[in-house]
Amino acid sequence: MRGLILKIHLWLAMIAGAFMVLLGVTGSIIAFEPELDRLLYPDLSRVKPGGRILSLVEIGEAASKTYGGDPVVAYLPSSSPDFPTEVILSRGVVSVNQYTGEVLGIRTRGQTVLGFTRALHVRLATGDMGRNILRWSAVAMLFSLASGVYLWWPRKRVRIRGPWWSRLFWYDLHNSFGILSLLPLLVLAATGIVIGFEDEVSSLLDKAYGRNPVHSSKTETRSESGRTGAEITPDQAVAIASAQLPGAVAYRVQMPRYGGLYVVGLAYSDNRIASERNSISIDPWDGRVVTVNLSSGLTPRERFMATNEAIHTGNIFGIPARIIVALASVVLPLQVMSGLLIWIRRTRIVRHG
Amino acid sequence: MAEIGDRVARMNRTVTTVFLLAASAMAGDLTGKWSGTFKVDGGDHNVPQLFILKQRGKTLTGSGGPNTGEQYPIENGRIDGNRAQFELTTGEWKFTYDLKQTLPDTLNGTLKLESVNDSRNARVSLTRTKGD
Repeated sequence: MRGLILKIHLWLAMIAGAFMVLLGVTGSIIAFEPELDRLLYPDLSRVKPGGRILSLVEIGEAASKTYGGDPVVAYLPSSSPDFPTEVILSRGVVSVNQYTGEVLGIRTRGQTVLGFTRALHVRLATGDMGRNILRWSAVAMLFSLASGVYLWWPRKRVRIRGPWWSRLFWYDLHNSFGILSLLPLLVLAATGIVIGFEDEVSSLLDKAYGRNPVHSSKTETRSESGRTGAEITPDQAVAIASAQLPGAVAYRVQMPRYGGLYVVGLAYSDNRIASERNSISIDPWDGRVVTVNLSSGLTPRERFMATNEAIHTGNIFGIPARIIVALASVVLPLQVMSGLLIWIRRTRIVRHG
Repeated sequence: MAEIGDRVARMNRTVTTVFLLAASAMAGDLTGKWSGTFKVDGGDHNVPQLFILKQRGKTLTGSGGPNTGEQYPIENGRIDGNRAQFELTTGEWKFTYDLKQTLPDTLNGTLKLESVNDSRNARVSLTRTKGD
């Protein structure tokens, strides 16, 4: 039995090892995507806090004026005193210093290094074929981990012996690192499989819990009679929306020319699972709240998928969990490599008697 | 020899004329309501689409989005034969459509989605909603 499990363990690594390495390397990078993004674009990502915070109208005007009078599509208010407010225009996303009104620059649309890394992690930067390869590699990873535990169990050793070039060293390293990183890797593989097979999992959850599409606590229609006078400003829209959800902070304001309503996204800092699922639509003519969509009203399927994603990315427990995710991801290529070295050296030993 | 050349040239003209007539017959007015889906390469879902198009000559205007409640204005819309090209900006994502009217009530083609980090391609399929 042990011989068979060892063969399965080996063959899984031979077949899917390269993709496991890719998942590990790219996963460890995108675990810190927001931070790396700010490092790559320092001029567009930092402001010196101080003074009065300008209104969204003033910030939007500064961005629009700099870029040919393009209308504002949406605002992404600053999430930290030293991060700028972003203004979305059709041609790109403009960073504006919310204290001075200085336009820091624009990020045009298109794939970046980080975007490509994410695309590699999700779909091998290709299409359906890449996505299928990766999701089945995640399944292979799960079986590889399970078979690894079975092989480790009789001796239960966590130690490293011998010089780094010896087979013993790599054998011990493979065993020790494997068992120490087992739990986070199991979690990453399982949650990754759920993401990879999202459609299948979703239909299973819908069958189990039923579809409950209503997650609006309040739904009305846009006022047609009040179309006189001036529209309310985005700042007023944020104030109205914030009054509906005390303690929540606006992270996004969609302008009314897109869909006829202001849509204000609000987040609670302590809700890391579905914090970005609160949105309030406001009639621009009379400031009336038209729709309230709350994260507390998510369907069981939506909640499950959001929780699964938060676990996979580590967002569920903030920075410490993201560090664990990144470290476990780094271990993955190390495991594949050390496993390969053990196998090569074992083959040589067998050949040479 | 010259006679053969003339005959070939006449045939070419005829074929071209037939193609142009067929293309113009195919390229009917796009004004109306169109619904369908797009699927991103390597993506999970078929995303619903609903467009309310207005064609005036070679210019295409109107709006589009996932449903009637969420519509975004069409930008840079133009028609060239049976080809329709336009853009939508929903916020973080910009959608660039390149569609062909393959049948009077069918539009098929590609879509490029671009954010400041990512760029993805999708296949789009739309049909004219009856009664509109």
